[in-house]
Amino acid sequence: MPPPVRLLRSSSRALLIGVLVAVFLAPLVVMFTGSLRPPGLPPPRGVELIPQGAGLSAYAATFTLVPFGRALLNSVLIAAFMVPLSVVTASWAGLALAQSSGWRWRTLAGTVLLLEMVPGTAVWLARFAVFKVLGLTGTPVPLVAPALMGGSPLFVLLYAVAFRRLPPELFEAARLEGAGPVRLWRSIALPLVRPTTASVALLAFALSWRNFIDPLLYLSGEDALTAPLALHALELLGSTQWPVLLAGAVVVTLPAVLAFLGAQRMFLGEERGSGWLGR
Amino acid sequence: MKARAPRGREAMLWLAAPFLAAAALLVGLPALLALGFAFTEYDALSAPRFVGMAHFVRMWNDPLFWTALGNSLLFAGLAVPLRLAVALGLALLLHRGGRLARAAVFLPTVVPDIAYALLWLWLLNPLYGPLALALKAAGVTSGGWLLTPWGARGALVALTVFQLGEVFVVLLAARRELPEELYELCELEGGSALTVFRKVTLPLMAPTLVLLAARDVVVSLQTTFVPALVITQGGPRYATTFLPLYIYENGFEYLRIGYASAMTWVMFLVTAAMVAAQLWVLREWRASTTRQA
Repeated sequence: MPPPVRLLRSSSRALLIGVLVAVFLAPLVVMFTGSLRPPGLPPPRGVELIPQGAGLSAYAATFTLVPFGRALLNSVLIAAFMVPLSVVTASWAGLALAQSSGWRWRTLAGTVLLLEMVPGTAVWLARFAVFKVLGLTGTPVPLVAPALMGGSPLFVLLYAVAFRRLPPELFEAARLEGAGPVRLWRSIALPLVRPTTASVALLAFALSWRNFIDPLLYLSGEDALTAPLALHALELLGSTQWPVLLAGAVVVTLPAVLAFLGAQRMFLGEERGSGWLGR
Repeated sequence: MKARAPRGREAMLWLAAPFLAAAALLVGLPALLALGFAFTEYDALSAPRFVGMAHFVRMWNDPLFWTALGNSLLFAGLAVPLRLAVALGLALLLHRGGRLARAAVFLPTVVPDIAYALLWLWLLNPLYGPLALALKAAGVTSGGWLLTPWGARGALVALTVFQLGEVFVVLLAARRELPEELYELCELEGGSALTVFRKVTLPLMAPTLVLLAARDVVVSLQTTFVPALVITQGGPRYATTFLPLYIYENGFEYLRIGYASAMTWVMFLVTAAMVAAQLWVLREWRASTTRQA
């Protein structure tokens, strides 16, 4: 290919990528700039990239209208249980799936696929009834319980694929030395799939952090607000003060974005085999 | 007991015990319970009362149920192909070079649903939302997207297209699994980009695409809930009343738990049928390609 054609091609590709990045980031950027507008002013009449008199007063209003600090703390506590528990149970089930064969494999794989096909919305109602009978509504237990099944069947699948890629001789050798399942998991399997663990941890955090419907169904009272519920409460206050609502949205979004930026290197990397499927 | 402690590959199944137990308690038991509720009148206050098929008859005659089912199917029919096509395009464009661009594409996916819904409620605000203001500045005056049925549906589809990170990452990984030598060969033979896509990339990635489509159909039944609740409240004129929203209203607001359970089972069966149909297509397609080869 002659150099000018190649130059044209690569620069048009760069332009296309630039436009795409702008399109995908635009909603988040305007959410942030919109939150900087001082509340109480009449709505803007035209497009404004940086609002006049930009400041953080909307954030102060957000925190006084709703107990956001307490809600953030609750969400962090729930995530602190959710994430490690999801990683452990998902990697256990994933290792079992990767190592089993015959009817055991069929049972496990069938369960994972079936779970993947049940819409979360389909079990709300009856699951609520189960927890009510157990006397656990009003406690955080129903929120954390899904971590016992790996958080999401997707996480189990990700681990199973990653473990399948490890050389089987590793496991056979350790087994000959008398290592049991838990030791195989802890000292061989888990240390070799760090990128997968990072991805699953991030996704489990995002799942736990964004959870809106479970806290809405199971928790009540001001002390039991989680971050998404606090934002919902802010909305229900009937605030037409968009800067305040947007500031609340930024507060709820920021931890998830920071967690993602910390972990993205692990699953957006360039190497073959990198990604969620780990190595 | 200790002496017979299980060793070897069979013992690995024990690691799945917490997962299986939790799945049975959190999904299996509720599913059976919902099946039981479906044949009873139950309001969570008094004991359930057996009513036989009454709920299913009522569902058959409930125009809102059919509207909600139609809306859910329509949403899946619009959003799933669009999300897959956009994610595939992005994965092919961005699988090399520009990790920042990949991060930017993934970023909207991590925004919590409720914040995301509020953000779009503001973006689409007909009077002072940024989109309306930008259009007004450009001389186009129309901001009533959420006031017409198709505008509201389109808006909900559009906002789910931005949250395609999971599909995108899986397609990125699938693209990287394809042998680079194949593409070098194509370049030597001088095939156009479109030919390479049609003859090499698409057939090799088709199985992944079908599996993702099956999963996305299921996911679409969940992703509609919060936006429909926050942005459109099921309106205008029930245009965005999806099955999960209708089930939620019946079960938790009107306490018609029996009726909601019956609808839940119908929703599950419809999803299962759609997923099964897609997997069947994949199997047929695989069988036909191996026969050709």
